[in-house]
Amino acid sequence: MENSAEDYRIQSFDLDTQRLLKTALKDPSLVNLEKVSNIIVDQSLKDTVFSKEAGRICYTIVQAEAKQNNGNVFRRHLLNRLQQEFKEREEMRARSLQEWVCYVTFICNIFDYLKVNNMPMVALVHPVYDCLMRLAKPDALMNEDEVDCLVVQLHRIGEQLEKADSQRMNDLFFLLRDGFLLQESLTSMARLLLLEILEFRAGGWMLSSTAHKYYYSEIAD
Amino acid sequence: MSDWTKERRREDHNIEHEKSFGPSRWSHCRKRGVNGSLRSNSEADDIDKRRNGHADSSYKHPDRRHASFTTPESTGPVSRCGQQADWGSQVEDDEMRRDVHRDMQRYRRRILGAEFTQRERRASSGSSGSCDSREGDNMETDEAVLLRRQKQINYGKNTLAYDRYIKEVPKHMRQPGVHPKTPNKFRKYSRRSWDQQIKLWKVKLHAWDPPAEEGQDKTLDVVEELNLDDVMDIELDFPTITDSQNSQTSLPIHSLSVEDEDCGTPVKVQRTAEPNMS
Repeated sequence: MENSAEDYRIQSFDLDTQRLLKTALKDPSLVNLEKVSNIIVDQSLKDTVFSKEAGRICYTIVQAEAKQNNGNVFRRHLLNRLQQEFKEREEMRARSLQEWVCYVTFICNIFDYLKVNNMPMVALVHPVYDCLMRLAKPDALMNEDEVDCLVVQLHRIGEQLEKADSQRMNDLFFLLRDGFLLQESLTSMARLLLLEILEFRAGGWMLSSTAHKYYYSEIAD
Repeated sequence: MSDWTKERRREDHNIEHEKSFGPSRWSHCRKRGVNGSLRSNSEADDIDKRRNGHADSSYKHPDRRHASFTTPESTGPVSRCGQQADWGSQVEDDEMRRDVHRDMQRYRRRILGAEFTQRERRASSGSSGSCDSREGDNMETDEAVLLRRQKQINYGKNTLAYDRYIKEVPKHMRQPGVHPKTPNKFRKYSRRSWDQQIKLWKVKLHAWDPPAEEGQDKTLDVVEELNLDDVMDIELDFPTITDSQNSQTSLPIHSLSVEDEDCGTPVKVQRTAEPNMS
């Protein structure tokens, strides 16, 4: 059973790179894994669609390498590259909002997919929180793209994050409540998104059916 | 050099004022003086500083020994405070810690199961063993020790030799003494004893190093090994029940394989191969 290119969303790469990635998925020892990790990270920072699903391809390569020779070269390079970008996230955000949003999406995606013994990677918990806290700051709440990113990530990994560190989740939601209540410059869409996530968490990371109807009944597909 | 080693040397030099460390007959062979500081050979010191801790293959020690004669200075112990470590290492360390804990639980289960079976057999055969292998009570549980040991084991297993070894000799064909056996990290050993076991184990593994020229070793056509965890590599040694009997009629029990998982642990005891079968 072969996973087609669509499963990993690699159509956006040129054909040579696609071939390289496919080889990495099947036979990691044949490729330069540092190069592969850079290719994946670079693309994730540019391509919003890819950043949402790149975790899957990373997960598969990590598993393949571990199975083949117990190695974790790819994972190490991936994480250290993520750490590099993390250290310079403020400059990244100043330079390009889209890149910043892609980065947060990607790191949360990695947090979601790359588990260690079925537990999330402890090393990523604080960095992910740092990113989300940044998105909850007043200047970020003014941008719908950033608010959207924030709520999407909380939907995907909020519950796991809270389990890993509930105090920081409380701190994050302090900011979100304040933003919702006090920040005048918010668009109504931003307010809607914030209200929904506040209810979502209050309901134990799910919406009641009535709330769901309120927020989603008019959304196409 | 790291700040750590610099400070240590500073302290040592302070102490040195009070005592005289005249060179002994043998001090020219030693890299360090009695107090642990590098030998204060001013020429060597200057050169040390320039070398900056790296071994330079063209550098000759003042005693006309090659630089590789002495161990090159490393950067000293690395701080293990999480903040400094890169994410890659943090995740690896975390993973190793979890693996060790999981191994510990599985090992405990194996031991308890095995002890029970052995006690039954001993009771039915009517003899009383002089050695009660209560390994479950006396196992190593210190996380730092287990992690260190696991790391050493990993170094040994991460070799071509080990790869070739496990492919060539399936576990049930292993002969004690002939075939290397991974030291059991859960047993209580002194630090020296453990390090020595590791050393001997790795030396033995070298017999399976890939040949320089074409295949002297014939690779046996064997069924691929199941992907067993490290825990399954640990062979449980129990003393033979009937020591006095002829070895041909009663073989020592060498390995136990446990069908793992949450629903009860049936214990299968395997006999090792006959000595005249190879």
